Amino acid sequence: MAEEKTTLRSVGRPRSVDAAQASLALLLNLVRTGAATTRQELERRSELGRAVVADRLATMIELGLLKEGELGQATGGRAPRQMRFRQDAGSLLVSAIDQSSIALGIADLNGQMLVEHHEAAQLDAGPEAILDRLATIFDWLLQETEKPAPWGIGLALPGPIEKPAADFEIVPVLQTIQSWQGFPFLERLSMRFGVPIFARSGVQTMTMGEAKAGGGRGLSDIIYVKLGRSISAGLISEGQLHRGAQGAAGMIGHSRVGDELLEAVAGAEAIAREGKAAAEDGRSPYLAQTLERQGELSVVDIGHAAQLGDLFCVELLGRCGRLVGEALAPLTNLVNPSLIVVGGVVAESGGDSLLAGIREAVYRQSHPMVSRDLQIMRSQMGASSGLVGAAQVVLEELFAPAMLQGWVGHGSPLHHPEFQKSLERVTAALASKAAQPTGRVAP
Amino acid sequence: MNSKTPGDTAMSIAGLGPHGERAVPADQIQLTQTDAAQARGRRFSVAVVLHTTTSDWSKQELAGIAAALGLYSAALVEVVDCNFDFELQVAALARLAREKVDAVISIPIGNARVAQAHRALTQSGRRLVLLDNAPTGMLPGTDYASVVSTDNFGLGQSCAAMLSAHIPQGGAAGILGYGIDFFATHEREIAFRKWMGSHRPDVTLVRERFADLDGAGAAALAMVEKTPGLSGIFAVWDVPAMKAVQALAQKNIDIPITTVDLGNEVALDMARHGMIKGVGAQLPYDQGSAAARVTLAALLGLPVPPWVALAGREVTPSDVIEAYQVIWHLPAPRTIIESVRSSFAAQIQDAGE
Repeated sequence: MAEEKTTLRSVGRPRSVDAAQASLALLLNLVRTGAATTRQELERRSELGRAVVADRLATMIELGLLKEGELGQATGGRAPRQMRFRQDAGSLLVSAIDQSSIALGIADLNGQMLVEHHEAAQLDAGPEAILDRLATIFDWLLQETEKPAPWGIGLALPGPIEKPAADFEIVPVLQTIQSWQGFPFLERLSMRFGVPIFARSGVQTMTMGEAKAGGGRGLSDIIYVKLGRSISAGLISEGQLHRGAQGAAGMIGHSRVGDELLEAVAGAEAIAREGKAAAEDGRSPYLAQTLERQGELSVVDIGHAAQLGDLFCVELLGRCGRLVGEALAPLTNLVNPSLIVVGGVVAESGGDSLLAGIREAVYRQSHPMVSRDLQIMRSQMGASSGLVGAAQVVLEELFAPAMLQGWVGHGSPLHHPEFQKSLERVTAALASKAAQPTGRVAP
Repeated sequence: MNSKTPGDTAMSIAGLGPHGERAVPADQIQLTQTDAAQARGRRFSVAVVLHTTTSDWSKQELAGIAAALGLYSAALVEVVDCNFDFELQVAALARLAREKVDAVISIPIGNARVAQAHRALTQSGRRLVLLDNAPTGMLPGTDYASVVSTDNFGLGQSCAAMLSAHIPQGGAAGILGYGIDFFATHEREIAFRKWMGSHRPDVTLVRERFADLDGAGAAALAMVEKTPGLSGIFAVWDVPAMKAVQALAQKNIDIPITTVDLGNEVALDMARHGMIKGVGAQLPYDQGSAAARVTLAALLGLPVPPWVALAGREVTPSDVIEAYQVIWHLPAPRTIIESVRSSFAAQIQDAGE
């Protein structure tokens, strides 16, 4: 119906429906990103005629995507009315799933988080339990915030996520964990809420989150390093997330330190193991006490001990920092970032000793010009960066010009013909899977 | 004797912080002698901004803050009562950003609508320590120093576990939820639901929300009327719980309730073996004291954890007197002690017969 409207209203030069979609998409993105908001600016930036711009804006107001806002700056004559994107036309559901915790949130269509929630969860408890938890809290968030229906789900998952071959195609995730093998996680979640789903690795979404709302706000070249049980990095170069050929960019934990992998000597588990050894052989009296009291040690205890001045822990974290810094230095030389943000449980608990170790190695091993204005900071966003980044992923996907042209005339990505087809395929595939007999009946 | 030593409570913090942070237990935040001497020498001025100053919780929170600040020669120069009005809070923060205070301890009233005012206070050069929650999008380090809170997730779980004993197999439980976007009550409700979902999947959960306290009684009644088999209610804090008790009692309905915080009325109801069967209580005095220590540490430029949490304490009718002393740092009121004694005597008499 909206398409008919567009065609009917088209005046001036003859144009195909495709061209109409392209101009709608172009104008929507100009308004949405704030690049141009008055009719005059829109005409100039889009190089479309006045009548076409007027027609497209009217269409998008009718579709509920744009609204008229306040008066802008007058440049002689009447003050122009500004166009505004309706960030409340839909909502986004986001989740960041990690080895031992999950984060969930709801965001508006500008990617602004409205409510978020974090809780402990075990990834190896299996996909069914995690799926159930996600669905329960997403339902609750939608009901609680009374926000409009979601337009998409953004997911951050541990480990690399392959790039799909086509829009809306669903990729298998977390296949390295036995209990997740063959489980249609994204399919089930997408079907449950009837929305498209976009997944990225945790470190890539966190990088996007830091660039959008954390230390990297306004910067175009940043590296984010996640120091947890595994070690990985995300890169935004000239404003774009670098995903790599298979979507697996950033696995720096796999670089070698002597005969070992970096994450096997500087990851959270390695640090806890070293701490336990020091508690047992008396090198760290503080850790010995903690071990006796708790029966186990984690990187959090080692960070706390370092803060209280335990020499062994200060040195251990400093050494881990230097190892991580040595892995980051070549990367720094290669991409010349203006900021390195360090996050993850090791960074959160590692304190100043860890950060000092990283700084020492990076500054020592990088070219003076590369390190001249380079800042290295600890993340302030914590796990929220994964949520903000996941919302950014959904927005970048939904509003990518090619994708946007497929749905803008319908007013919502849920009506994108390719998504509709994909949803039907997923539904059919899951139904046939469910219909398969689980056991063979005896002849 | 209270069986929960500080060591125990430090181990049992279930919830994560507003950015997924692992909690640093409040008792780990201590000033060394050198820090204390430095703090005393600098004679800091601190203001406190609260949603209300009239509740039991607020009074104890303030007492804890004032005592701990005083110990380090820091002056509590102003206490702002916002009367639950976020506009008053925004105005108070804007004013404090121009006045001679070194730090502000504030409980954000709601979420997005007060975020900017809190940010602006930090940008004015004052240290900001938040109680209970950080508005979505605010970042530790940049926008505030730390959040000091009770483990609200743990409180919700406790309340679910205590209510569960009163819900028959296949029964229904109700949640009396707060209709305002507020982190602490969200966490309690999510935790309650999660505990029920994993330990009592047979229980059906229903919910009614109230936007202001006067609506809480009606919401509880509506829930009971809509769900004939309702066997218990969880109210997200004590004041609406008592509104529910009053409204239900007027209709001669007796239903088990669990809630958060050991207010005087709730304590008395428990002592009389009324509808309140269990409470997950915050320790506001201890929270206030921790918030003051965190504030001083931040003022001294020491690194402070972004999320400092205190475990709550479970209270049942059998230990309401002792719990009262631990939570409120006061002897339990006469009426509570007498009620406990008379119900205990009645129990012995019943047993004798």
